[in-house]
Amino acid sequence: MIRQPISFRAHIALGVVSVVVLLTGYTALSYRQHQRNPSDKTIPNWSQLADGVTRVLKPQDRYDGASWLWTDAKATFTRHFSGLAIGVLVAVVLGLGMGCFTPIEALLLPPLSCLAKIPPTAMLAVFFVLVGTGMELYIAMIAFGVIPTLAQSIYQSARTDVPEELIYKAYTLGASHPELIWNVTFKQILPRIIEAVRLQVGPAMVYLIAAEYAIGDIGFGFRLRMQQRLSDMSTVYIYLAVLAAVGFLMDYSLTWLRRLLCPWFGK
Amino acid sequence: MHDIVLECRGVSKRFGDHAVLHDVNLKIARGQIVSLVGPSGCGKSTLLRAILGTHPPDSGEVLMNGKPITGPGRDRGIVYQRYGLYPFLTARQNVAFGPMLDETNLAYRFFQFPNWLKLRKQHLAGADDMLTRVQMGKALHRYPEELSGGMCQRVAIAQALMMKPEILLLDEPFGALDEATREEMQEMLLKLYAENLAAKAAGKKPPYTILIITHELNEAIYVADRVLGLSQHWRWEDTGGPSHPGATIIYDAVSPVFSKDVEAEAAAFVRQREEMRRVIFEPSERFGRESHTRFWQQCAAGAGVGMMAPIP
Repeated sequence: MIRQPISFRAHIALGVVSVVVLLTGYTALSYRQHQRNPSDKTIPNWSQLADGVTRVLKPQDRYDGASWLWTDAKATFTRHFSGLAIGVLVAVVLGLGMGCFTPIEALLLPPLSCLAKIPPTAMLAVFFVLVGTGMELYIAMIAFGVIPTLAQSIYQSARTDVPEELIYKAYTLGASHPELIWNVTFKQILPRIIEAVRLQVGPAMVYLIAAEYAIGDIGFGFRLRMQQRLSDMSTVYIYLAVLAAVGFLMDYSLTWLRRLLCPWFGK
Repeated sequence: MHDIVLECRGVSKRFGDHAVLHDVNLKIARGQIVSLVGPSGCGKSTLLRAILGTHPPDSGEVLMNGKPITGPGRDRGIVYQRYGLYPFLTARQNVAFGPMLDETNLAYRFFQFPNWLKLRKQHLAGADDMLTRVQMGKALHRYPEELSGGMCQRVAIAQALMMKPEILLLDEPFGALDEATREEMQEMLLKLYAENLAAKAAGKKPPYTILIITHELNEAIYVADRVLGLSQHWRWEDTGGPSHPGATIIYDAVSPVFSKDVEAEAAAFVRQREEMRRVIFEPSERFGRESHTRFWQQCAAGAGVGMMAPIP
């Protein structure tokens, strides 16, 4: 039957099965490829991948003794968190402002709607000219990519997820306008904001990797570009696995945060 | 002289070409529980919103304690049919929400955090007391999502009463409840009314003035000491206007405080219900707006009951 619940144990078992199938499939593919070409690097076998791990963790003189992985992760995730934090902060302020005050909505919604249609990666040249190639460029890329979509999502939530009755009642309880925004609207839509941020984590990483790929001299995007040129897929796959792990961790952290801050949501 | 809490003077409201309310005049005295009944779409909720201050009338004015209202304010409490509880707050937090907003502001709560924590404890203790009074003492820490409809409505009433509003507005508050819960809630209103009577007898200010909007005739008569009928079915041609000017109050009468078990009162109950059905709800029998608005004349003649009973 549709939506028939299954046990927790069955859930876990099916999840494990899917991962095992994936790894088995990869192993079979790699084996087949190495049967054809024993020195193949495009679908590395497990020992090549182990070499890749050793390589990315090896201390490099060029980076003051730090490994590739550490150096690139530090650069990429600092950029990612900074850009995302600034983007979320600005988007929350704009979204709440538009959702609560019609003049702000009238003022900001048209430009935000237009900006949301421009892919941030296409704006790389503009940012390059405006802010150079430093940290600012990556933050601008992420913020520009995140703000229009996130602000519109928060605006929609502030408009539709807060029933008028709750607003009128807050006024009868003595709320001021700022209290209404903070204590009613923000609290009511907080789980939606966290969900919207969750959905923006992936796109923000896409914008960042694209920028690093194009013009970076350090970071995951840069390393992927360099190793792809050398057809060293053992390093590429290691980096992709790290990106997936961090993405999963961020996703889980945000879900946990939502449960912690909004225990009422979804009950 | 009666202590008039709420007064509507010539309140009219249109939505585009559609006339909703026409020259609504109304005075509610302190301590009364007044029912407002009317057919669907007659403008009951529009009148309530005008009183609440969220949708001001096109003409006329609404006065609280003699002062015109300009918007929603803490002197008017509101309870909605769908409860209107804040889903992100537990029952006690919902009830303590009003005192928090009323007695503090964001700056106080942020910059004087230790003082705020002390005050918060007092608010929550007060909320616990209020919830216990409405038989919700065992569900203090539950979220609205975890409460039944009747429990939510008790919390909503406690939330409004906590603010000690000058008038409590109930917008079809029991419409979504089952029959048994509805009766329980009605009894709760009558207990509040008993507190008013006790306060009056002791020479004190009665604490609760309530305007309840309902489409259920039995409920209207049972819980209130006065029944108002708002209806579009009236002889509007008497005004001389070319088209229907909207609904107005065409029924205003004392509603005896009934005890269900007394046979004679049951007969009076049925008589009043039939009269209201005919005057307010029957489109074919249209009456002039003055013919059944007799409440104040009844009080002047000594026929008022409860809070409006003549002082011996």
